[in-house]
Amino acid sequence: MENFELFSEKEIKDEIIRFSKVLYEKGLITALGGNISARLPRAGEFWITPSQVFKGALKAEDLVKLTLDGEIVEGLLKPSIEWPMHAAVYRVRPDVNAIVHAHNPMVLGLTLAGKKLKTTITDEAVILLRRVEEVEFKFPGTSYLAEAVASVASKGVRAIILKNHGVLGLGTNLLEAEAIVELLEAIATIEFVCYTLGAEPSEVPPEEIEVAKKYWGI
Amino acid sequence: MRCYRRKLCYVDLTKERVEILDISDSDIINFIGGSGLAAKIIFDLVDPKIDPFSSENVLTFMTGPLTGTIMITSARFTIAAKSPLTNGWGEAHSGGFWGVELKKAGYDGLVVTGKASNPVYLYIYDDKVEIRDAEKFWGLDTYTTDVKLKEELGDSIRCGIIGPAGENLVRMAGIFFDVRPDGPRVAGRCGLGAVMGSKNLKAIVVKGSGKVEVDDPIKLKDYLKRIIPSIMSFPTTQLYSTYGTPTEVEPLYYYGNLPIKNFSIGLWDNALNLRAEAVAEKIVKGHRACFNCPIGCWRYVDCEVDSEKIIGRAIEYESLGALGSLLMIDDPARVARLHQLCNKLGLDVISIGVTIAWFIEAYEKKMVDESFLNECKPSWGDHRFVEEMIKLISEKKGIGSFLSNGVRIASKMVKGSESFAMHSKGLELPMHDPRAFKGMGLQYATSNRGACHLYGFVLRVEQGERVIDLGIHERVDRFDTEGKAKIVAIMQDWSEVVESLGVCKFLQITPGHLASIYSLATGLKIMVKELHEKGTRIFTLKRLFNLACGMSKADDSLPDRITKEPLKEGGAVGQVIELEKMLSEYYNYRGWNKDGYPKRGTLEKLKLIKYIEESRYEVYRELLKKADSNE
Repeated sequence: MENFELFSEKEIKDEIIRFSKVLYEKGLITALGGNISARLPRAGEFWITPSQVFKGALKAEDLVKLTLDGEIVEGLLKPSIEWPMHAAVYRVRPDVNAIVHAHNPMVLGLTLAGKKLKTTITDEAVILLRRVEEVEFKFPGTSYLAEAVASVASKGVRAIILKNHGVLGLGTNLLEAEAIVELLEAIATIEFVCYTLGAEPSEVPPEEIEVAKKYWGI
Repeated sequence: MRCYRRKLCYVDLTKERVEILDISDSDIINFIGGSGLAAKIIFDLVDPKIDPFSSENVLTFMTGPLTGTIMITSARFTIAAKSPLTNGWGEAHSGGFWGVELKKAGYDGLVVTGKASNPVYLYIYDDKVEIRDAEKFWGLDTYTTDVKLKEELGDSIRCGIIGPAGENLVRMAGIFFDVRPDGPRVAGRCGLGAVMGSKNLKAIVVKGSGKVEVDDPIKLKDYLKRIIPSIMSFPTTQLYSTYGTPTEVEPLYYYGNLPIKNFSIGLWDNALNLRAEAVAEKIVKGHRACFNCPIGCWRYVDCEVDSEKIIGRAIEYESLGALGSLLMIDDPARVARLHQLCNKLGLDVISIGVTIAWFIEAYEKKMVDESFLNECKPSWGDHRFVEEMIKLISEKKGIGSFLSNGVRIASKMVKGSESFAMHSKGLELPMHDPRAFKGMGLQYATSNRGACHLYGFVLRVEQGERVIDLGIHERVDRFDTEGKAKIVAIMQDWSEVVESLGVCKFLQITPGHLASIYSLATGLKIMVKELHEKGTRIFTLKRLFNLACGMSKADDSLPDRITKEPLKEGGAVGQVIELEKMLSEYYNYRGWNKDGYPKRGTLEKLKLIKYIEESRYEVYRELLKKADSNE
């Protein structure tokens, strides 16, 4: 079956640039940290942000196009050091065409404080996030991290927390991946407020998440 | 490829002839520039069987494609020849401004052959290349020579100079650049100053009016601006900027890596008197930086010791070790005075320190006949004795003549002393005791120029750094030996790339970023993997030269002190280097046979067979037969 492509390659690159700026301005990626990639549906090549370049003001010409083996197809800058992690996810998830790796401070703060993020506190989270998986710390850029993330991603999740590091949002396109990263931070903020006020965040009524529990195993 | 000038200046001192030749595309593609191109030139032109002091030896001064460009820390260049210390591949490097000036004059490199009948200096000003009389400079120290040349030719020139040690063919003599007012920068290792002296060449004066361009200056500038925050925030960059290389003294002392008393003991807390803060407080009066360098590791010393002014670059980690802890001298000002003396007389501080330390130990062990000595008796911590020895060595007088050949030759003449003669392939060990970082032991043993700390500097990996772009993802234990072979080979080959590009290894830039910069500067699209392969090719070509010079597996060695004598105390207590085990793993990883000859398949993969087949020297084809017969 032919793919109906919603985004052209140029649009994909423009979206990566746009989301880098948005995420930077929201404080979800730092000046040099975080990275974003996207590909045409099921393509064996993907575009990724460059390594150690200020993420708040990227240009389309800064992006690098790589094969899943890391060979540079287009672009002259060094690709993000995390390219093996992105490639590993694309290999195991043909449905994923975009990955946003951010350094969400609230999500990390709660996780490092030993709080497990609850995805049942808002209806939006139930629907969009469903399940969130965690990956133990592995050094950034290493094959070990790529393998660990791919192993978790292969379970079908769209939101992954990398302990002491950041989060991953996976989507069929960049809008979805970005929405997941933002939502993770939003619910972490809500939960933080609850904990700060001394309360356990309460869940949406059970009958509302019955479907989620039954079918999605939350 | 606009960052290359595409021209080499050949000077034959015997025939008094200057020729400007083009560099071929294939040499640029296969050997990059700098150290890589120097290796190709030496491979092409030097008969491996010659005496390093013969007029047939070729002395090359090679810049890299990034030298003199807008790339930061792009001051570096390589000097290479057959080494009188190792009798094989010899190379040394320098920063400063001289290499940049050579490139501005329109040349990627200078190749000096033959021998002048009288002392001469070279004067290069763009197209003008002249061999000039240097009789009046002969015998002068490097500082005076620099001042006098500038008096005659103006302050805008850049000079590379040898001191009396180089003139007198002391095998530990270096070449000194940008000597005054703040320097010098020194290409110290492998005795290349003596090769220059053997050609009766006192100095090379360069002035250039051109500009070194790059292929895409706007993009390169933009990229540099944006990656500088990550480069400059790297811990060692910050430390080198703040304290210079002396910053290494204290941490490396605690690792058991700073050599003390000729590598014989692991603890001596007086060494901490040489730590960076003490050096900064006592003798350092400012920073200086090489061309286009934001780090500025170069310390400017200004102090007075025994009514002698010490001014300029006279302190580094290596001199604090070689003229300090190794000889049990714990006063930074005294070390600076000795360092300045070596600078003036034209000597490599590492080789000098190691050779004198060996002599003191041999004397202490009653292996040296008293009649060799004058009133000054060898003893640890005696700066006067060391000063006397430095002077005698540079003049080749008395015991100095015997020591001037370096520790390998000297120790062969003193029975029982070879076990503590600290060298590999004849090059004296730098100030990193490999028992503290075992990969460094393998690195020393296999480095093409002999005991070299810079080609690889794997102790960084053994301290915990990962080099993700080169596939070094795992953290390693510094005392482990397994897996070190691969790490050492990878890092050595990447160092070949860095030295060929003409950037400073103190710049903590990832290989991927460097590949991007090379691409933007040349317009060639090169990835890390391809650059790394070029590094392997260059490393292997130098290996072939060494084998052709008659080296063998036996030369991939370390002193017995390192392989058999564990330190009794300190951060590396109880450790020795298990070299044989690492060596066989290393040969295997590199695709060499058990005797250390690169196999035909390896040479084919590296596209080196063609050069061997076309070489004018039969000895290379014999190597191929040896490799074939012992697969």
